[in-house]
Amino acid sequence: MFLLPRIRRTLTIWPAILCGLVLTLGLPSKAYAVPSFARQTGLACEACHTVFPQLTPFGRVFKASGYTMSNTSKVQDVDRMKHYLMSLSDVPPISVMGVASTSSANKASDANSSKTSTDFPQQLSIFYAGAIADNVGAFIQLTYDGQAGNFGIDNTDIRFADVATIYGHSVIYGVSLNNNPTVQDLWNSTPAWGQPFLGSPTMAGPAAAARIEGAMAQSVAGLSAYTYVDQSIYGEVGVYRSALQGASVSNIGPSGVPPTDVITGVAPYWRFAYEYDWGQQSLELGTFGLQASLHNPTTVAGDSFAQSLQAGPTDRFTDIGLDTQYQYIDDDNQVTLTGRAIRENQRLDASFAQTLSDNPSNRIDSANAVLSYFWRRKIGATVGLFNVSGSTDVTYFGSPNGKPDSTWGNVEVDYLPWLNVKLGLQYTAYTKFNGASNNYDGNGRNASDNNMIFGYIWFAY
Amino acid sequence: MKKTLSISTALGVCLIAMSANAAPANDKAADAAAASKVTTVCQNCHGPNGDSTSATFPRLNAQQSDYIAAQLKTFRNHSRDDPHAMAYMWGMASQLDDASIIGIANYLARQKPTEAQTGGSLAAAGKKVYMNGVEADNVPPCAACHGDHGEGNGEMPRLAGQHADYLKKQLEDFRSLVRTNDIMHANTKNMTDRDIESVVSYLAND
Repeated sequence: MFLLPRIRRTLTIWPAILCGLVLTLGLPSKAYAVPSFARQTGLACEACHTVFPQLTPFGRVFKASGYTMSNTSKVQDVDRMKHYLMSLSDVPPISVMGVASTSSANKASDANSSKTSTDFPQQLSIFYAGAIADNVGAFIQLTYDGQAGNFGIDNTDIRFADVATIYGHSVIYGVSLNNNPTVQDLWNSTPAWGQPFLGSPTMAGPAAAARIEGAMAQSVAGLSAYTYVDQSIYGEVGVYRSALQGASVSNIGPSGVPPTDVITGVAPYWRFAYEYDWGQQSLELGTFGLQASLHNPTTVAGDSFAQSLQAGPTDRFTDIGLDTQYQYIDDDNQVTLTGRAIRENQRLDASFAQTLSDNPSNRIDSANAVLSYFWRRKIGATVGLFNVSGSTDVTYFGSPNGKPDSTWGNVEVDYLPWLNVKLGLQYTAYTKFNGASNNYDGNGRNASDNNMIFGYIWFAY
Repeated sequence: MKKTLSISTALGVCLIAMSANAAPANDKAADAAAASKVTTVCQNCHGPNGDSTSATFPRLNAQQSDYIAAQLKTFRNHSRDDPHAMAYMWGMASQLDDASIIGIANYLARQKPTEAQTGGSLAAAGKKVYMNGVEADNVPPCAACHGDHGEGNGEMPRLAGQHADYLKKQLEDFRSLVRTNDIMHANTKNMTDRDIESVVSYLAND
């Protein structure tokens, strides 16, 4: 996910402002591909990916092992016990990635906007992706956002990992320091690495989503411990704290406006999954979740920001997700089917006290199912269905009928002339948007007005 | 005299015993290193002790050590250049020294084999191809090199218990020269698709 000026997709206490800012955020525009892993391991892309960025079972092991698997010559140093003090690859683990795109919607978002847009670039990223030391590796992404015109930290996942054989079982264990819940996950069914991998950055996307679906990206720091047993059983627990970019939690922001959505204390995170592999196939079932109590300092009138952080009501968001992923992978056919469903319970003590919500508590349900097929990793298509629904709360969700509901689908066709170059054409169609199918904003705009065709070229080196 | 001989004999026996004991210590270290390599790296694709799940990656358990060592060297020097060799094994073998190759090969050769699945509609025909060849098409019997039970011999690999899709792909690749091997190309160039399917049905386990 790009660096954005503290704009989050999940509706908070300023739904009207947020809806406007969503125009900037749009659909998820994340994109990842790191050939530095290929240079480090000597393995071609197909070892770890069906088609980037989807992972194969081996790719999941590589990630769980801390991005450290290496087959390059190194500069090394050892102590008297032959323990490595330093292990630097001769090949620096640096990659670059770029996306250029063009979009066209059915109708411009407002009278001052165009319904078409060309983004050159949509995104340029530099990665440090690879080993740091013998058991320490990193995926660090810095991104220039063509729409926002800024450059900053993007998804980051720094790991320590090792593997042990315990009673004949392979046990990978490690620790992840990261800045986006689920960025450290191994499957493409959870939010950070889920479909769609690219979307148009120019038009509005649905306003409502579960908080774990990107609202905290690059504004938190998380530390979690995990284990992956026999490439099958995965367990992880961790915590997140606010780590805002561009403003310190302890000070009023540069504009004089206190930062928002500050996590009180820590937000616990969990992830458990089971994958069964047979022949060329794999099936994963899992659960994940997060609970965050958020301070918004303006909710405590008359107190300083520091006082607001120490006491005062919070809005508590509890996200519980279920996910599944099926894959069939051979040389000719690469099939990936993912699905997830998230229930978010919102206990709005702060918002309700400030009459920023009609209800003391609300609910959001977010679900999707995506099927992708590639032939020989060269030509493929993806179909996705998405749905968000929730409680009725006119004040909190900001829609005339009070519903946050959106329903949409997308179809994408891709062509890869080389394994690190992808040409894509995507069509997104909405049957419901921010609460309704027709006149969802009270000004005559229909859900289908946001339908979008989006073409892109995505390369990585 | 008898005492002197006895002492000399005893000394000789001791020396032999000592030298015999000295070698296993080095072997043990090499074995441990090889086991570590296999269990932390190789098995990520080739499965626990070499018994892989996916036919993309061949089973290596109980494979002939000379064959494994030879293949690792061809990956390392790039003389084997079929697509999967290039995509996966060139990198994985690039930093292996000869001692590591021998250790890995010996470790995998000592593992318990996966047995061939018996039966199947084509298995009987496949056995005939394997044991007798196809004289009309100048296809020699596979057993002549690969053993009466598909167990292999030296640099001729074990075939019994291998993934069906992997065996099929290798035979097709030998036939089409995607995988270059003069002997195997000569042996497979006249095999029909039916011959390949039947002999795979006889040998494989999936």
